[in-house]
Amino acid sequence: MASQNIDPLSATVAPETSRKSSEDNHKPETGQHSVSKRLQQELMKLMMSGDKGISAFPDGDNLFRWIGTIVGADGTVYEGLIYKLVLEFPSSYPYTAPIIRFDTPCFHPNVDTQGNICLDILKEKWTALYDVRTVLLSLQSLLGEPNIDSPLNTHAAELWENPTQYKKVLLEKYDKEVRKKGQF
Amino acid sequence: MSEALETLSVAWNVISKAFRPALDSRNNDGYLPSYEDLKASVELLHQHGIAHIVEEWFFETLQQDLREIIVPRFWSHFDFQTAGADGDPDTSFGSKYFRVLLNAVKELHSSFQLYIPCVSQLQCLHEDLQAEEDTLPSEAQTFLQCSYLSLASRVHLVLKALLLAKIPQQFSNNLINFYSRAFKAFQIKQPLEKYEEEDLDDQLECPACENDNENCCCVEVLNTFQEVNQHLKELNLLEAVAGDAVTTVAYRHIQDYVQKTCKGNYENSYMPQLERWLDGALLMWMQSVYSESNAEYVVLICNIKEQMNHFLYETYTTVRMEELFSIIIEFPESQAALEDLKVCLEKTNLRQNLITSLKNSLERRLLHPGVNTADILTAYISAIKALRILDPTGVILQLVCEPVRKYLRLREDTVRCIVSSLTDDGCGELASELMKGAPLLLDDNYQADEEDVNWESWQPDPSDADPTKTTQSHRSHDIISMLVSIYGSKDLFVKEYCVLLADRLLSTFCYDTVKEIRYLELLKLRFGESQLHQCEVMLKDVADSKRINTHVNSEKMIADFRVGEFPLNAMILSAQFWPTLREEHLQLPEIVEKALESYKKAFEALKGNRTLCWKGHLGLVNLDLQLKDRTLNFSVSPIHATIIWHFQEKARWSLEALSAVTRVPTSALRRKIAYWQTLGILREEATDVFVLEEEEPQRQSLDGSVLPDEEEENGSVMASSQDQREEELQVFWSFIVGMLTNLGSLPIERIHSMLRMFAMQGSGTTGCSIHELRQFLDRKVREQKLVYSGGYYRLPRA
Repeated sequence: MASQNIDPLSATVAPETSRKSSEDNHKPETGQHSVSKRLQQELMKLMMSGDKGISAFPDGDNLFRWIGTIVGADGTVYEGLIYKLVLEFPSSYPYTAPIIRFDTPCFHPNVDTQGNICLDILKEKWTALYDVRTVLLSLQSLLGEPNIDSPLNTHAAELWENPTQYKKVLLEKYDKEVRKKGQF
Repeated sequence: MSEALETLSVAWNVISKAFRPALDSRNNDGYLPSYEDLKASVELLHQHGIAHIVEEWFFETLQQDLREIIVPRFWSHFDFQTAGADGDPDTSFGSKYFRVLLNAVKELHSSFQLYIPCVSQLQCLHEDLQAEEDTLPSEAQTFLQCSYLSLASRVHLVLKALLLAKIPQQFSNNLINFYSRAFKAFQIKQPLEKYEEEDLDDQLECPACENDNENCCCVEVLNTFQEVNQHLKELNLLEAVAGDAVTTVAYRHIQDYVQKTCKGNYENSYMPQLERWLDGALLMWMQSVYSESNAEYVVLICNIKEQMNHFLYETYTTVRMEELFSIIIEFPESQAALEDLKVCLEKTNLRQNLITSLKNSLERRLLHPGVNTADILTAYISAIKALRILDPTGVILQLVCEPVRKYLRLREDTVRCIVSSLTDDGCGELASELMKGAPLLLDDNYQADEEDVNWESWQPDPSDADPTKTTQSHRSHDIISMLVSIYGSKDLFVKEYCVLLADRLLSTFCYDTVKEIRYLELLKLRFGESQLHQCEVMLKDVADSKRINTHVNSEKMIADFRVGEFPLNAMILSAQFWPTLREEHLQLPEIVEKALESYKKAFEALKGNRTLCWKGHLGLVNLDLQLKDRTLNFSVSPIHATIIWHFQEKARWSLEALSAVTRVPTSALRRKIAYWQTLGILREEATDVFVLEEEEPQRQSLDGSVLPDEEEENGSVMASSQDQREEELQVFWSFIVGMLTNLGSLPIERIHSMLRMFAMQGSGTTGCSIHELRQFLDRKVREQKLVYSGGYYRLPRA
């Protein structure tokens, strides 16, 4: 695990518990507060960045649960397809990765039928240097460049070699599972 | 049997003679039976058990007589006027009418008088009958019990009913006319007091009857008036016939008098005078109409007095209500009128009308594009002060001025106007208000300590107060708070003040900040220390600049950095704390650039880690212009100086070439050149080619007098606050796009609350009211960047 993934608060507290015990009481609170502050900043950054095809916003009043939207990048089979995501931030964020899954059914080698995503930076390769914007950009590029070696959806992985066939299946499914249900 | 009938018939004859007075030549044989005969006859009837029908019969015949003879005869007196032209009561008609009226009343009185003895006789019989009530048949008993009114009052009632049933249309008008004349005459002849200042002796005409003094008929009129009243009173008809007319006349005169005395004059208090007049003149007259001293009349006069007083207050209020706008504008000269009005308003029920009428006149006279914002503000301030007197609770003010506040909110320059008048040198209203130095009270949850102060004199809010709004202490607080609360936040004002301050500091080019510091301290009392921190830094910058300038221009520095080819003073601003400056391109002459560069070096040496970033287009240049025949001195802006500088090396420049060296667009350049043209120093030789006039042109239009610097197209050196606001809104827009992309369609309340939660917390952004947001969103809808349907906003489909 990268060093920046260690929460400095908990790291410093561990060896010096005896001395700092009196200050411990209010730490969880300040921790929570700093997470909100970080998310707030990330939101501001994301809003001001104006990246094309990615977006996210807190779902109602809860700053720890966001709804995201990515649009398939131009020049890929996913071009113009819109996917909704749910992003949940643990209280230890950004020292642990956010939990992200597709809300819109997504036919993709690295996405299972429940919408769970297999992406290294959301798992073992997560670092606190990532933020919502970079994660969304990664997901957007994952759509066009799947990792065929560790598929969650084998059918999609097999089909990937044949772009024409893949696109046909993808669009059929998107049409059936998304458009017909009136989501987009 | 037949004998009995005969005696009955004789008895009846006696009775009918006694009770039917000879009106005409009808049954006029001069025989009037004595009371004893009458009594015997009635006794006879009584023996037969039919005595009670006498009374019934009497009323029957009375009604018949009245209907057929007396009443028609009375009204026939007035027939002449239906034949003649209606209305138009000229004097001859008037006096004629008085005579007619008097005659008619007299006649009515005398003919009715004939019945009075019958009535008293009948009353006696009636009482006799009642004494023997037990012996009567049951039918008669019920009849007796029915008549609970005295006979006399029943007779009067019948007369009143029959008379008024036939009243002609014109009659009441003429009666009013009559009483009006009588009132005027009364006022003139009244020896008590004179309320009119005009000296009657000097006039040839009597003001009441408009006749020459010798022919004045006032006495006659008064006599008629008294007589008519007397007769009517005896007939018990005064109230019924004349009551209306008297009240109408009184009302009219009150109205006239109030209009005449106080209309258009707000500087004196008129209430005591009006009340005195009412008591002295009007009520005296009314008493003379009803003059009689029994208890009933005392009560009546009391009622009338109350009624008249109330009407006086009402009239006064109505008159003032129409003028309230002018009264407010003329405040404080109109204080007396307001105090009068306050008294009257409490006694009448016109508060609601007053609010509506004032609201309307404010809207009509103030809230349209033709009025300057400064004037609206002045009127608003006046209204605050004036209405405070009228209604110390502030409720009227709140209700009336709501539209004004709403309107001011829409004006772009409102904040600027307020702020600049706050710090106006010319002892403006607001500047003096500022001196009071009370802190602003804006937050609604502010709790005053009114519980402990004067709880005994606590008064509930008036019923028309809006309970959702704040309490009394809040409503009536000071003017500056009221103005600032138009926008609901201090931020806007603080920001505007910063811009204004920056503008003033930079445009005066003077390092003397004593006055500004004073204002800042006063403002700090209002807006709080933290809000104005920025301004404090700005003022400190100015003071620092002065110090640094002396330092840089000291001997040693000049030697070290070769500054000082010409004196150069800088205004050094901390970029973080100053409002954004207006950006413009301008290439300064090389010599100036060099001087700036060495100044910068000197500064860097002086203050480690800091540097200067020059704004070459701002500032003031003092230059001497040496021409062939004269030397001129100017203080001009850098761009003007640069232009004339270039003519030093070359006497002829084309606009294009000059634009290239100065890097100023040609259109702007041409405007700036115009300055030198008006001074006669440059001349447009051919289109877009300018030459220097070395010798003074022949026309002596300009003898070195300082021409006012022609107005900068964008007066201020600051970026306008509107531009800055636009930038902030742009930030909000990205957030709005973000939330609508991800959350679908949202109502405005949700958008607003999310913006507040996520976008407005960052530093530097002022809030955005839901009202402003709606305007913004509606604009986006018009630009087709948004779709609005069913209360929800969403993004248009790509």
